[in-house]
Amino acid sequence: MTLFLLGAFALLLANMSGLLERFGREVRLTAYVADGLAPEAGRALAERVARLEGVERAVFVGKDEALERFRRRLGGEASLLEGLEENPLPASVEVELAPSHRSEDGLARVRAALAATDGVAEVAHGHAWVAGYARAVSLLRAAAAVLGGVLALAALLIVTNTIRLGVYARRDEIEILMLVGATRTFVAAPFLLEGLVQGAAGGALALGALWAAFALFGGPLHGAFAFVLGSVEPSFLGAGGCAALVAGGAGLGFLGSAAALLQGLRA
Amino acid sequence: MSGLAGDPARGGDALVRLFHVSKSYLAGTWALRDVSLELRKGELAFLTGSSGAGKTTLMKLIFAAERPSEGQILILGRNVDRLRPAGIPALRRRIGVVFQDFKLLPRRTVEENVAVALDVVGVPHRQARGRVFSILKRVGLQHRRFHYPLSLSGGEQQRVAIARALVNEPEILLADEPTGNLDAALTLEIMDLIAGAAARGTTVLVATHDLSLVERFGRRMLRLDAGRLAADQRAAGVAP
Repeated sequence: MTLFLLGAFALLLANMSGLLERFGREVRLTAYVADGLAPEAGRALAERVARLEGVERAVFVGKDEALERFRRRLGGEASLLEGLEENPLPASVEVELAPSHRSEDGLARVRAALAATDGVAEVAHGHAWVAGYARAVSLLRAAAAVLGGVLALAALLIVTNTIRLGVYARRDEIEILMLVGATRTFVAAPFLLEGLVQGAAGGALALGALWAAFALFGGPLHGAFAFVLGSVEPSFLGAGGCAALVAGGAGLGFLGSAAALLQGLRA
Repeated sequence: MSGLAGDPARGGDALVRLFHVSKSYLAGTWALRDVSLELRKGELAFLTGSSGAGKTTLMKLIFAAERPSEGQILILGRNVDRLRPAGIPALRRRIGVVFQDFKLLPRRTVEENVAVALDVVGVPHRQARGRVFSILKRVGLQHRRFHYPLSLSGGEQQRVAIARALVNEPEILLADEPTGNLDAALTLEIMDLIAGAAARGTTVLVATHDLSLVERFGRRMLRLDAGRLAADQRAAGVAP
Protein backbone atom coordinates (compact mmCIF):
# COMPACT_ATOMS: atom_id res chain seq x y z
CA MET A 1 0.00 0.00 0.00
CA THR A 2 2.76 2.42 0.92
CA LEU A 3 4.61 1.53 -2.28
CA PHE A 4 1.38 2.18 -4.21
CA LEU A 5 1.10 5.61 -2.61
CA LEU A 6 4.76 6.31 -3.30
CA GLY A 7 4.26 5.31 -6.91
CA ALA A 8 1.11 7.44 -7.19
CA PHE A 9 2.99 10.47 -5.94
CA ALA A 10 5.84 9.80 -8.30
CA LEU A 11 3.38 9.50 -11.18
CA LEU A 12 1.60 12.74 -10.25
CA LEU A 13 4.86 14.57 -9.84
CA ALA A 14 6.21 13.26 -13.14
CA ASN A 15 3.10 14.36 -15.00
CA MET A 16 2.94 17.78 -13.39
CA SER A 17 6.61 18.40 -14.02
CA GLY A 18 6.19 17.26 -17.60
CA LEU A 19 3.17 19.50 -17.92
CA LEU A 20 5.07 22.46 -16.66
CA GLU A 21 7.83 21.81 -19.11
CA ARG A 22 5.37 21.57 -21.98
CA PHE A 23 3.66 24.77 -20.92
CA GLY A 24 7.01 26.31 -20.48
CA ARG A 25 7.62 25.88 -24.18
CA GLU A 26 4.40 27.77 -24.84
CA VAL A 27 5.22 30.65 -22.57
CA ARG A 28 5.40 33.65 -24.84
CA LEU A 29 5.72 37.34 -24.44
CA THR A 30 4.06 39.74 -26.80
CA ALA A 31 5.88 42.98 -27.47
CA TYR A 32 3.50 45.46 -29.08
CA VAL A 33 5.34 47.70 -31.45
CA ALA A 34 5.01 51.43 -31.53
CA ASP A 35 2.18 52.76 -33.68
CA GLY A 36 3.11 53.60 -37.26
CA LEU A 37 6.17 51.37 -37.44
CA ALA A 38 6.59 50.07 -40.97
CA PRO A 39 6.56 46.31 -41.52
CA GLU A 40 10.26 46.31 -42.56
CA ALA A 41 11.15 48.13 -39.36
CA GLY A 42 8.95 45.67 -37.47
CA ARG A 43 10.87 42.69 -38.91
CA ALA A 44 14.17 44.38 -38.08
CA LEU A 45 12.88 44.89 -34.54
CA ALA A 46 12.06 41.16 -34.36
CA GLU A 47 15.61 40.32 -35.40
CA ARG A 48 17.01 42.58 -32.67
CA VAL A 49 14.70 41.01 -30.10
CA ALA A 50 15.75 37.49 -31.18
CA ARG A 51 19.30 38.35 -30.20
CA LEU A 52 18.33 39.31 -26.65
CA GLU A 53 19.47 37.01 -23.85
CA GLY A 54 16.78 34.47 -22.95
CA VAL A 55 14.95 34.69 -26.27
CA GLU A 56 14.58 31.49 -28.26
CA ARG A 57 12.65 32.95 -31.17
CA ALA A 58 11.03 36.23 -32.13
CA VAL A 59 8.43 36.59 -34.87
CA PHE A 60 6.98 39.84 -36.22
CA VAL A 61 3.17 39.77 -36.58
CA GLY A 62 1.90 42.64 -38.66
CA LYS A 63 -1.47 44.37 -38.16
CA ASP A 64 -3.09 42.49 -41.03
CA GLU A 65 -1.90 39.14 -39.86
CA ALA A 66 -3.03 39.94 -36.30
CA LEU A 67 -6.51 40.72 -37.58
CA GLU A 68 -6.60 37.53 -39.63
CA ARG A 69 -5.61 35.47 -36.56
CA PHE A 70 -8.28 37.16 -34.51
CA ARG A 71 -10.84 36.46 -37.25
CA ARG A 72 -9.92 32.74 -37.18
CA ARG A 73 -10.16 32.64 -33.43
CA LEU A 74 -13.64 34.11 -33.51
CA GLY A 75 -14.74 31.35 -35.83
CA GLY A 76 -18.50 31.67 -36.38
CA GLU A 77 -18.52 35.10 -34.77
CA ALA A 78 -16.12 36.53 -37.32
CA SER A 79 -18.96 38.52 -38.86
CA LEU A 80 -18.62 40.85 -35.90
CA LEU A 81 -15.52 42.28 -37.57
CA GLU A 82 -17.31 43.25 -40.79
CA GLY A 83 -18.40 46.56 -39.36
CA LEU A 84 -14.85 47.66 -38.55
CA GLU A 85 -13.65 50.64 -40.60
CA GLU A 86 -10.03 50.24 -39.69
CA ASN A 87 -7.85 47.55 -38.09
CA PRO A 88 -7.59 48.32 -34.38
CA LEU A 89 -5.08 45.58 -33.67
CA PRO A 90 -1.44 46.57 -33.19
CA ALA A 91 1.52 44.91 -34.80
CA SER A 92 3.62 42.89 -32.39
CA VAL A 93 6.64 40.74 -31.96
CA GLU A 94 5.88 37.31 -30.45
CA VAL A 95 8.75 36.20 -28.27
CA GLU A 96 9.39 32.57 -27.34
CA LEU A 97 11.57 32.10 -24.25
CA ALA A 98 14.73 30.01 -24.21
CA PRO A 99 14.50 26.97 -21.90
CA SER A 100 16.92 28.57 -19.47
CA HIS A 101 14.56 31.47 -19.01
CA ARG A 102 11.25 29.61 -18.68
CA SER A 103 10.77 30.61 -15.08
CA GLU A 104 9.28 33.51 -13.22
CA ASP A 105 12.68 35.12 -12.88
CA GLY A 106 13.69 34.50 -16.49
CA LEU A 107 10.38 35.80 -17.73
CA ALA A 108 10.83 39.00 -15.73
CA ARG A 109 14.35 39.58 -17.13
CA VAL A 110 13.32 39.12 -20.74
CA ARG A 111 10.30 41.29 -20.17
CA ALA A 112 12.49 44.08 -18.77
CA ALA A 113 14.88 43.78 -21.72
CA LEU A 114 12.02 43.99 -24.19
CA ALA A 115 10.53 47.02 -22.48
CA ALA A 116 13.88 48.77 -22.84
CA THR A 117 14.14 47.98 -26.57
CA ASP A 118 13.53 50.82 -29.00
CA GLY A 119 10.35 50.38 -30.93
CA VAL A 120 8.56 48.37 -28.25
CA ALA A 121 5.54 50.18 -26.87
CA GLU A 122 4.22 47.58 -24.44
CA VAL A 123 5.05 44.07 -23.26
CA ALA A 124 2.40 41.60 -22.23
CA HIS A 125 2.15 37.84 -21.61
CA GLY A 126 -1.00 35.81 -21.28
CA HIS A 127 0.31 33.16 -18.94
CA ALA A 128 0.50 34.97 -15.64
CA TRP A 129 -0.64 31.81 -13.96
CA VAL A 130 2.47 29.86 -15.06
CA ALA A 131 4.65 31.49 -12.42
CA GLY A 132 2.13 30.51 -9.80
CA TYR A 133 1.99 27.05 -11.29
CA ALA A 134 5.76 26.70 -11.08
CA ARG A 135 5.59 27.65 -7.42
CA ALA A 136 2.87 25.07 -6.91
CA VAL A 137 5.00 22.35 -8.51
CA SER A 138 7.99 23.29 -6.34
CA LEU A 139 5.73 23.02 -3.33
CA LEU A 140 4.43 19.70 -4.57
CA ARG A 141 7.99 18.43 -5.04
CA ALA A 142 8.84 19.41 -1.47
CA ALA A 143 5.66 17.83 -0.13
CA ALA A 144 6.33 14.69 -2.19
CA ALA A 145 9.84 14.48 -0.81
CA VAL A 146 8.58 14.75 2.76
CA LEU A 147 5.62 12.43 2.25
CA GLY A 148 7.73 10.08 0.20
CA GLY A 149 10.23 9.96 3.04
CA VAL A 150 7.49 9.27 5.57
CA LEU A 151 5.96 6.54 3.38
CA ALA A 152 9.34 4.96 2.79
CA LEU A 153 9.99 4.96 6.53
CA ALA A 154 6.55 3.42 7.12
CA ALA A 155 7.28 0.72 4.55
CA LEU A 156 10.64 0.08 6.18
CA LEU A 157 9.07 -0.24 9.63
CA ILE A 158 6.39 -2.60 8.34
CA VAL A 159 8.97 -4.86 6.71
CA THR A 160 11.23 -4.70 9.77
CA ASN A 161 8.41 -5.75 12.07
CA THR A 162 7.28 -8.50 9.73
CA ILE A 163 10.75 -9.97 9.52
CA ARG A 164 11.28 -9.51 13.25
CA LEU A 165 8.15 -11.58 13.86
CA GLY A 166 9.50 -14.15 11.43
CA VAL A 167 12.83 -14.25 13.26
CA TYR A 168 11.00 -14.61 16.57
CA ALA A 169 8.78 -17.38 15.22
CA ARG A 170 11.86 -19.24 14.04
CA ARG A 171 14.01 -18.52 17.06
CA ASP A 172 14.25 -22.20 18.00
CA GLU A 173 15.50 -23.05 14.55
CA ILE A 174 17.96 -20.17 14.65
CA GLU A 175 19.20 -21.30 18.06
CA ILE A 176 19.85 -24.81 16.77
CA LEU A 177 21.58 -23.56 13.64
CA MET A 178 23.91 -21.43 15.73
CA LEU A 179 24.58 -24.31 18.11
CA VAL A 180 25.79 -26.52 15.26
CA GLY A 181 28.12 -23.77 14.06
CA ALA A 182 26.14 -21.77 11.50
CA THR A 183 27.55 -18.33 10.87
CA ARG A 184 25.31 -15.29 11.18
CA THR A 185 25.44 -14.95 7.41
CA PHE A 186 24.15 -18.51 6.99
CA VAL A 187 21.28 -17.79 9.36
CA ALA A 188 20.52 -14.34 8.00
CA ALA A 189 20.66 -15.10 4.28
CA PRO A 190 17.17 -16.67 3.98
CA PHE A 191 15.59 -13.76 5.86
CA LEU A 192 17.41 -11.17 3.75
CA LEU A 193 16.32 -12.93 0.60
CA GLU A 194 12.77 -13.11 1.92
CA GLY A 195 12.76 -9.36 2.57
CA LEU A 196 14.20 -8.62 -0.85
CA VAL A 197 11.68 -10.80 -2.66
CA GLN A 198 8.73 -9.55 -0.61
CA GLY A 199 9.77 -5.96 -1.23
CA ALA A 200 10.20 -6.51 -4.96
CA ALA A 201 6.87 -8.33 -5.13
CA GLY A 202 5.25 -5.49 -3.23
CA GLY A 203 6.75 -3.01 -5.67
CA ALA A 204 5.53 -5.04 -8.64
CA LEU A 205 2.03 -5.33 -7.16
CA ALA A 206 1.97 -1.61 -6.45
CA LEU A 207 3.05 -0.96 -10.02
CA GLY A 208 0.28 -3.16 -11.35
CA ALA A 209 -2.33 -1.48 -9.15
CA LEU A 210 -1.04 1.92 -10.17
CA TRP A 211 -1.24 1.04 -13.84
CA ALA A 212 -4.79 -0.26 -13.39
CA ALA A 213 -5.79 2.92 -11.57
CA PHE A 214 -4.15 5.02 -14.29
CA ALA A 215 -5.95 3.08 -17.02
CA LEU A 216 -9.30 3.44 -15.22
CA PHE A 217 -9.13 7.00 -13.98
CA GLY A 218 -6.52 8.69 -16.16
CA GLY A 219 -8.96 9.46 -18.97
CA PRO A 220 -11.82 10.83 -16.84
CA LEU A 221 -9.40 12.94 -14.78
CA HIS A 222 -7.87 14.37 -17.90
CA GLY A 223 -11.34 15.24 -19.18
CA ALA A 224 -12.22 16.97 -15.92
CA PHE A 225 -9.11 19.15 -16.09
CA ALA A 226 -9.01 19.66 -19.85
CA PHE A 227 -9.50 23.45 -19.46
CA VAL A 228 -6.11 23.52 -17.76
CA LEU A 229 -4.37 20.67 -19.51
CA GLY A 230 -5.59 21.45 -22.99
CA SER A 231 -4.13 18.98 -25.44
CA VAL A 232 -1.58 17.61 -23.00
CA GLU A 233 -2.13 13.89 -22.37
CA PRO A 234 -1.22 12.29 -19.02
CA SER A 235 1.47 9.65 -19.24
CA PHE A 236 2.37 6.66 -17.06
CA LEU A 237 5.77 6.16 -15.46
CA GLY A 238 8.51 5.36 -17.92
CA ALA A 239 10.61 2.19 -17.83
CA GLY A 240 13.02 3.87 -15.42
CA GLY A 241 10.25 4.90 -13.04
CA CYS A 242 8.73 1.42 -13.08
CA ALA A 243 12.09 -0.19 -12.42
CA ALA A 244 12.76 2.32 -9.63
CA LEU A 245 9.49 1.44 -7.89
CA VAL A 246 10.22 -2.30 -7.95
CA ALA A 247 13.87 -1.80 -7.04
CA GLY A 248 12.86 0.61 -4.30
CA GLY A 249 10.51 -1.99 -2.89
CA ALA A 250 13.26 -4.60 -2.98
CA GLY A 251 15.67 -2.20 -1.31
CA LEU A 252 13.22 -1.35 1.44
CA GLY A 253 12.54 -5.05 1.98
CA PHE A 254 16.23 -5.84 2.24
CA LEU A 255 16.92 -2.96 4.63
CA GLY A 256 13.95 -3.88 6.79
CA SER A 257 15.17 -7.48 7.04
CA ALA A 258 18.67 -6.39 7.91
CA ALA A 259 17.36 -4.11 10.65
CA ALA A 260 15.20 -6.89 12.10
CA LEU A 261 18.06 -9.38 11.99
CA LEU A 262 20.49 -7.00 13.66
CA GLN A 263 18.24 -7.02 16.69
CA GLY A 264 17.01 -10.59 16.46
CA LEU A 265 20.33 -12.34 16.07
CA ARG A 266 21.96 -10.23 18.74
CA ALA A 267 19.26 -11.39 21.14
CA MET B 1 39.63 -38.45 45.77
CA SER B 2 42.28 -37.39 43.28
CA GLY B 3 43.68 -33.90 43.14
CA LEU B 4 42.86 -31.38 40.48
CA ALA B 5 44.45 -31.87 37.10
CA GLY B 6 44.61 -28.15 36.44
CA ASP B 7 48.31 -27.59 36.01
CA PRO B 8 48.69 -25.51 32.86
CA ALA B 9 52.07 -27.05 32.25
CA ARG B 10 50.53 -30.52 31.79
CA GLY B 11 47.94 -31.83 29.40
CA GLY B 12 49.75 -31.93 26.10
CA ASP B 13 46.72 -33.51 24.42
CA ALA B 14 44.08 -31.80 26.56
CA LEU B 15 41.25 -30.54 24.35
CA VAL B 16 39.43 -28.76 27.16
CA ARG B 17 41.35 -26.75 29.74
CA LEU B 18 39.83 -24.51 32.39
CA PHE B 19 42.10 -22.38 34.59
CA HIS B 20 40.45 -20.89 37.67
CA VAL B 21 37.26 -20.19 35.83
CA SER B 22 34.43 -18.34 37.53
CA LYS B 23 31.11 -17.20 36.13
CA SER B 24 28.71 -14.71 37.64
CA TYR B 25 25.35 -13.73 36.16
CA LEU B 26 24.36 -11.36 38.94
CA ALA B 27 26.63 -9.26 41.11
CA GLY B 28 27.49 -11.22 44.23
CA THR B 29 26.25 -14.61 43.01
CA TRP B 30 28.48 -17.15 41.31
CA ALA B 31 27.28 -19.94 39.04
CA LEU B 32 30.86 -21.25 38.93
CA ARG B 33 33.71 -20.48 41.26
CA ASP B 34 37.39 -21.08 40.62
CA VAL B 35 37.05 -24.23 38.53
CA SER B 36 40.15 -25.76 37.00
CA LEU B 37 40.08 -28.99 35.02
CA GLU B 38 41.31 -30.67 31.87
CA LEU B 39 39.74 -33.17 29.54
CA ARG B 40 42.03 -35.16 27.30
CA LYS B 41 41.47 -36.64 23.89
CA GLY B 42 39.16 -39.65 23.98
CA GLU B 43 38.31 -39.16 27.63
CA LEU B 44 34.80 -39.92 28.94
CA ALA B 45 33.94 -37.84 31.99
CA PHE B 46 30.74 -37.30 33.94
CA LEU B 47 29.82 -33.96 35.40
CA THR B 48 27.59 -34.43 38.40
CA GLY B 49 25.98 -32.24 41.01
CA SER B 50 22.57 -31.15 42.22
CA SER B 51 20.39 -28.72 40.30
CA GLY B 52 21.99 -25.29 40.31
CA ALA B 53 25.45 -26.68 40.94
CA GLY B 54 26.71 -25.15 37.69
CA LYS B 55 26.75 -28.11 35.28
CA THR B 56 24.89 -26.34 32.45
CA THR B 57 26.93 -23.17 32.98
CA LEU B 58 30.13 -25.17 32.59
CA MET B 59 28.79 -26.75 29.39
CA LYS B 60 27.86 -23.31 28.02
CA LEU B 61 31.32 -21.99 28.73
CA ILE B 62 32.87 -24.90 26.84
CA PHE B 63 30.83 -24.33 23.68
CA ALA B 64 31.27 -20.58 23.96
CA ALA B 65 27.63 -19.74 24.63
CA GLU B 66 28.93 -17.81 27.64
CA ARG B 67 32.20 -16.11 28.48
CA PRO B 68 33.92 -16.55 31.85
CA SER B 69 33.80 -13.73 34.35
CA GLU B 70 37.25 -14.77 35.57
CA GLY B 71 39.88 -17.26 34.48
CA GLN B 72 40.81 -18.75 31.13
CA ILE B 73 39.22 -21.43 29.01
CA LEU B 74 41.12 -23.15 26.21
CA ILE B 75 38.98 -25.27 23.91
CA LEU B 76 40.84 -27.11 21.15
CA GLY B 77 43.68 -24.67 21.73
CA ARG B 78 41.51 -21.56 21.35
CA ASN B 79 41.06 -19.09 24.20
CA VAL B 80 37.31 -18.69 24.42
CA ASP B 81 37.48 -15.34 26.17
CA ARG B 82 39.54 -13.85 23.36
CA LEU B 83 37.48 -15.42 20.62
CA ARG B 84 35.74 -12.89 18.40
CA PRO B 85 32.05 -13.51 17.67
CA ALA B 86 32.92 -14.41 14.07
CA GLY B 87 35.22 -17.17 15.32
CA ILE B 88 32.63 -18.96 17.46
CA PRO B 89 30.85 -20.87 14.65
CA ALA B 90 34.13 -22.45 13.54
CA LEU B 91 34.77 -23.67 17.09
CA ARG B 92 31.26 -25.05 17.48
CA ARG B 93 31.58 -27.10 14.33
CA ARG B 94 34.19 -29.14 16.16
CA ILE B 95 31.93 -29.65 19.17
CA GLY B 96 28.82 -31.82 19.18
CA VAL B 97 26.11 -30.97 21.71
CA VAL B 98 23.22 -33.09 22.96
CA PHE B 99 20.49 -31.68 25.18
CA GLN B 100 17.90 -33.13 27.49
CA ASP B 101 15.10 -31.70 25.32
CA PHE B 102 16.68 -32.97 22.08
CA LYS B 103 16.34 -29.60 20.26
CA LEU B 104 15.22 -31.05 16.96
CA LEU B 105 13.57 -29.04 14.18
CA PRO B 106 9.94 -30.23 14.13
CA ARG B 107 9.27 -29.22 10.52
CA ARG B 108 12.24 -31.11 9.12
CA THR B 109 12.64 -34.84 8.68
CA VAL B 110 15.10 -36.92 10.67
CA GLU B 111 17.48 -36.87 7.70
CA GLU B 112 17.20 -33.10 7.37
CA ASN B 113 17.71 -32.58 11.08
CA VAL B 114 20.97 -34.48 10.98
CA ALA B 115 22.02 -32.92 7.67
CA VAL B 116 21.77 -29.39 9.05
CA ALA B 117 25.10 -29.90 10.81
CA LEU B 118 26.66 -30.66 7.41
CA ASP B 119 24.82 -27.83 5.62
CA VAL B 120 26.43 -25.23 7.82
CA VAL B 121 29.91 -26.44 6.88
CA GLY B 122 29.05 -26.54 3.20
CA VAL B 123 29.16 -30.30 2.59
CA PRO B 124 27.70 -31.01 -0.87
CA HIS B 125 24.21 -32.44 -0.78
CA ARG B 126 25.02 -35.84 -2.28
CA GLN B 127 27.94 -36.38 0.06
CA ALA B 128 25.86 -35.19 3.00
CA ARG B 129 23.13 -37.74 2.30
CA GLY B 130 25.68 -40.54 2.43
CA ARG B 131 27.15 -39.39 5.71
CA VAL B 132 23.72 -38.86 7.23
CA PHE B 133 22.65 -42.37 6.27
CA SER B 134 25.82 -43.79 7.75
CA ILE B 135 25.42 -42.05 11.11
CA LEU B 136 21.71 -42.88 11.29
CA LYS B 137 22.62 -46.50 10.70
CA ARG B 138 25.06 -46.30 13.57
CA VAL B 139 22.30 -45.09 15.89
CA GLY B 140 19.82 -47.55 14.40
CA LEU B 141 17.43 -45.08 12.78
CA GLN B 142 18.20 -45.29 9.07
CA HIS B 143 14.70 -46.68 8.43
CA ARG B 144 13.09 -43.62 10.04
CA ARG B 145 15.08 -41.00 8.17
CA PHE B 146 12.07 -39.59 6.31
CA HIS B 147 9.93 -39.36 9.42
CA TYR B 148 9.37 -36.22 11.43
CA PRO B 149 10.61 -35.88 15.01
CA LEU B 150 7.18 -35.76 16.59
CA SER B 151 6.41 -39.20 15.23
CA LEU B 152 9.41 -40.65 17.08
CA SER B 153 9.69 -41.83 20.68
CA GLY B 154 11.80 -39.91 23.18
CA GLY B 155 14.65 -42.37 22.84
CA GLU B 156 14.53 -42.17 19.06
CA GLN B 157 14.55 -38.39 19.14
CA GLN B 158 17.58 -38.41 21.38
CA ARG B 159 19.31 -40.80 19.01
CA VAL B 160 18.63 -38.34 16.18
CA ALA B 161 20.13 -35.58 18.32
CA ILE B 162 23.20 -37.73 18.96
CA ALA B 163 23.49 -38.48 15.24
CA ARG B 164 23.40 -34.74 14.49
CA ALA B 165 26.03 -34.13 17.16
CA LEU B 166 28.34 -36.82 15.75
CA VAL B 167 27.82 -36.51 11.98
CA ASN B 168 30.60 -33.95 11.68
CA GLU B 169 32.97 -36.21 13.63
CA PRO B 170 33.54 -33.66 16.37
CA GLU B 171 36.52 -33.74 18.62
CA ILE B 172 34.39 -32.94 21.67
CA LEU B 173 30.90 -34.16 22.55
CA LEU B 174 28.95 -32.39 25.29
CA ALA B 175 25.79 -34.06 26.55
CA ASP B 176 23.70 -32.08 29.01
CA GLU B 177 21.38 -34.50 30.82
CA PRO B 178 20.95 -36.58 27.66
CA THR B 179 18.89 -39.26 29.43
CA GLY B 180 16.91 -36.95 31.72
CA ASN B 181 13.63 -37.58 29.87
CA LEU B 182 14.16 -41.30 29.22
CA ASP B 183 13.41 -44.51 31.03
CA ALA B 184 16.08 -46.90 32.26
CA ALA B 185 16.24 -49.07 29.15
CA LEU B 186 16.49 -46.13 26.80
CA THR B 187 19.01 -44.50 29.10
CA LEU B 188 21.38 -47.42 28.67
CA GLU B 189 20.82 -47.41 24.93
CA ILE B 190 21.73 -43.73 24.69
CA MET B 191 24.73 -44.05 26.96
CA ASP B 192 26.04 -46.93 24.86
CA LEU B 193 26.04 -44.61 21.85
CA ILE B 194 27.76 -41.84 23.76
CA ALA B 195 30.35 -44.14 25.24
CA GLY B 196 30.93 -45.53 21.76
CA ALA B 197 31.89 -42.02 20.58
CA ALA B 198 34.48 -41.82 23.34
CA ALA B 199 35.83 -45.21 22.31
CA ARG B 200 36.36 -43.83 18.82
CA GLY B 201 38.45 -40.94 20.14
CA THR B 202 35.94 -38.19 20.86
CA THR B 203 36.36 -36.39 24.17
CA VAL B 204 33.02 -36.73 25.94
CA LEU B 205 31.60 -34.81 28.88
CA VAL B 206 28.20 -35.90 30.17
CA ALA B 207 26.30 -33.81 32.71
CA THR B 208 23.93 -35.95 34.73
CA HIS B 209 22.13 -36.39 38.03
CA ASP B 210 22.15 -40.13 37.55
CA LEU B 211 25.03 -41.55 39.56
CA SER B 212 24.22 -45.06 38.40
CA LEU B 213 25.50 -44.07 34.97
CA VAL B 214 28.74 -42.96 36.50
CA GLU B 215 29.08 -46.30 38.21
CA ARG B 216 28.27 -48.21 35.05
CA PHE B 217 30.13 -46.19 32.41
CA GLY B 218 32.21 -43.65 34.18
CA ARG B 219 35.90 -43.53 34.13
CA ARG B 220 36.03 -40.08 35.61
CA MET B 221 33.59 -38.10 37.69
CA LEU B 222 33.71 -34.33 38.20
CA ARG B 223 31.37 -33.25 40.97
CA LEU B 224 30.20 -29.66 41.24
CA ASP B 225 28.82 -28.27 44.47
CA ALA B 226 27.51 -24.69 44.58
CA GLY B 227 29.66 -23.79 41.59
CA ARG B 228 32.89 -25.28 42.90
CA LEU B 229 34.64 -28.41 41.75
CA ALA B 230 34.21 -30.51 44.86
CA ALA B 231 35.61 -33.75 43.50
CA ASP B 232 37.53 -35.07 40.50
CA GLN B 233 37.60 -38.87 40.74
CA ARG B 234 38.90 -41.41 38.35
CA ALA B 235 37.71 -44.98 38.41
CA ALA B 236 40.20 -47.59 39.51
CA GLY B 237 42.60 -48.51 36.76
CA VAL B 238 42.08 -45.28 34.81
CA ALA B 239 45.30 -43.33 34.36
CA PRO B 240 45.24 -39.64 35.36
